[in-house]
Amino acid sequence: MKNILKINNLSKNFGNVSAVNNVNLEVEVGSIHSVIGPNGAGKSTFFNMISGVLPPSSGKVYYKNNDITGFESYKLPHMGIAKCFQITNVFPKLSVRENVWSSVFSCAQKSKFDFLKPLSNFKYVAEETEKIISDVGLSHKINDKAEELSHGQQRMLEMAITLGAKPELLLLDEPTQGLAPEATLEMTKLIQKLSKKYTILLIEHKMHIVMEISKVITVLNFGEVIDEGTPSEVKESKKVQDAYLGRG
Amino acid sequence: MNKYTIICLIIFILLGPFLLPNATITEMLIFGIVAISTNIMLGYTGMLSFGQALFFGTSAYISGLILLAGFPIFLAIPIATLGSFLISLFVGYFCVKREGLYFICLTFAFNQMFYFIAYVWTEVTGGEDGLVGITRPEFIDTQFSFYVFISILFLTSLYLMYKIITSPLGLIFKLIRENPSRAEAIGYNVRFFKLVSFSIASTFTGLAGSLYVLIHSMVPIDQIHWLKSGDIIFMTLFGGVGNFLGPLIGVVGYIWLSDTFSIIWARWPLIMGVIFAIIVLYFRGGVSELLENLVKKSQSYFKKNKDEKYIKN
Repeated sequence: MKNILKINNLSKNFGNVSAVNNVNLEVEVGSIHSVIGPNGAGKSTFFNMISGVLPPSSGKVYYKNNDITGFESYKLPHMGIAKCFQITNVFPKLSVRENVWSSVFSCAQKSKFDFLKPLSNFKYVAEETEKIISDVGLSHKINDKAEELSHGQQRMLEMAITLGAKPELLLLDEPTQGLAPEATLEMTKLIQKLSKKYTILLIEHKMHIVMEISKVITVLNFGEVIDEGTPSEVKESKKVQDAYLGRG
Repeated sequence: MNKYTIICLIIFILLGPFLLPNATITEMLIFGIVAISTNIMLGYTGMLSFGQALFFGTSAYISGLILLAGFPIFLAIPIATLGSFLISLFVGYFCVKREGLYFICLTFAFNQMFYFIAYVWTEVTGGEDGLVGITRPEFIDTQFSFYVFISILFLTSLYLMYKIITSPLGLIFKLIRENPSRAEAIGYNVRFFKLVSFSIASTFTGLAGSLYVLIHSMVPIDQIHWLKSGDIIFMTLFGGVGNFLGPLIGVVGYIWLSDTFSIIWARWPLIMGVIFAIIVLYFRGGVSELLENLVKKSQSYFKKNKDEKYIKN
């Protein structure tokens, strides 16, 4: 078993409140590893610490055995870690093409001053952009502004932007949040398809999605890991059932 | 920029000197550089700075002092521009640490600091009287040659700025305006690019400031006052931030209107205030968006007429 991401005793305190407490976690290369938990379990705080938005109070995050604890979030895509947001987070007034182009360009830059060269120098970026957009099924909307897309399409665009960075590890924060049932199904399929190419750390609170696609599930409650295992193991766990029913 | 806007721009530069007094038209070109560069920061990157007069004024002082010391203009302009670039890195480094209202306040505070330095340091800056007695070099002594000189620098600046906003850098600026946290998440160092945007705007503003001393052969102290920063924002918004050349329309409109009204009525800023309020309330994209919409409407109108004729035949 080879780890791509290793988290050691990660904690975050806001004043006296401990949002995440001593979490240990290892993500195996090529797997879908899910972190679940009821509302307020500390999932988002945990996600934000890994993705460089919040500095942890203590503990370490290792990516491919490199210490990346507290790295600014703009550095992570260049190392191969991309994240997808819980809320739709695109560039509304820019076209679908520009949205994805920017992301591909960011990690494809070859020199420090690439951003001053004419756009026509970056044919390979344009080709990659079109490929990704067709992968998520938005080719017919490529010149439309992001704000003109439907909610489901915006979620797909969000995913396309994330993939533009050519990541090895994908951090997904509740990708099915607020989606209609059909769109949720579509997103689940997409995640499954993506898992063939990328390692995925998925933060979710919808149990059924997680059960279907994950290899390993870590369950958080009150900021602590209460259980970890395969979907069937977690399903049987008494502690997890209690947490979800509010008896924890 | 399509070919029609380029043709309009060329016609404006060729006809300008015949329609307007020389001092007015050169002032328009100089503030054109200021407003268009400010728009790179304001319209493209979404940062409102209330301190652009700092760079305009400081650069004017530097350029004026170098000319007064007897050095040639080809030294004065680059040194003054370089000076405003360096100051913009220093000031910008602190300002881009904060966003929104706090960013505005910081730029404003720095502007006031530099204003009071100019105000107090009378031996160098002439204090309240401003820096006087600067002479234009011989080769741009006549009104015509001076206008040609300014036009060339104006068009060169425009060309450079156009290159900047059509490069990936221009797109990165728009990303920051649209969604800074997402721009960060896909790998752009937002603070660094904000500083780049701030510096580009301030450096071109500085270049314009170094040229300004040549119009009236002096640097009045109000060129570094924060009210001037307000004027710059006003001109940019008046013309429209959604368009590369929009702010130029704002500059022409603002300078022409203030010249015209100031002769008729001493309280002319009142009228400008009313115009500004109307623009901000009803035409958020400024005059340029208004014109764009008119062109679009007339195009669709003519097209409709054509179609109707076609159907009748």
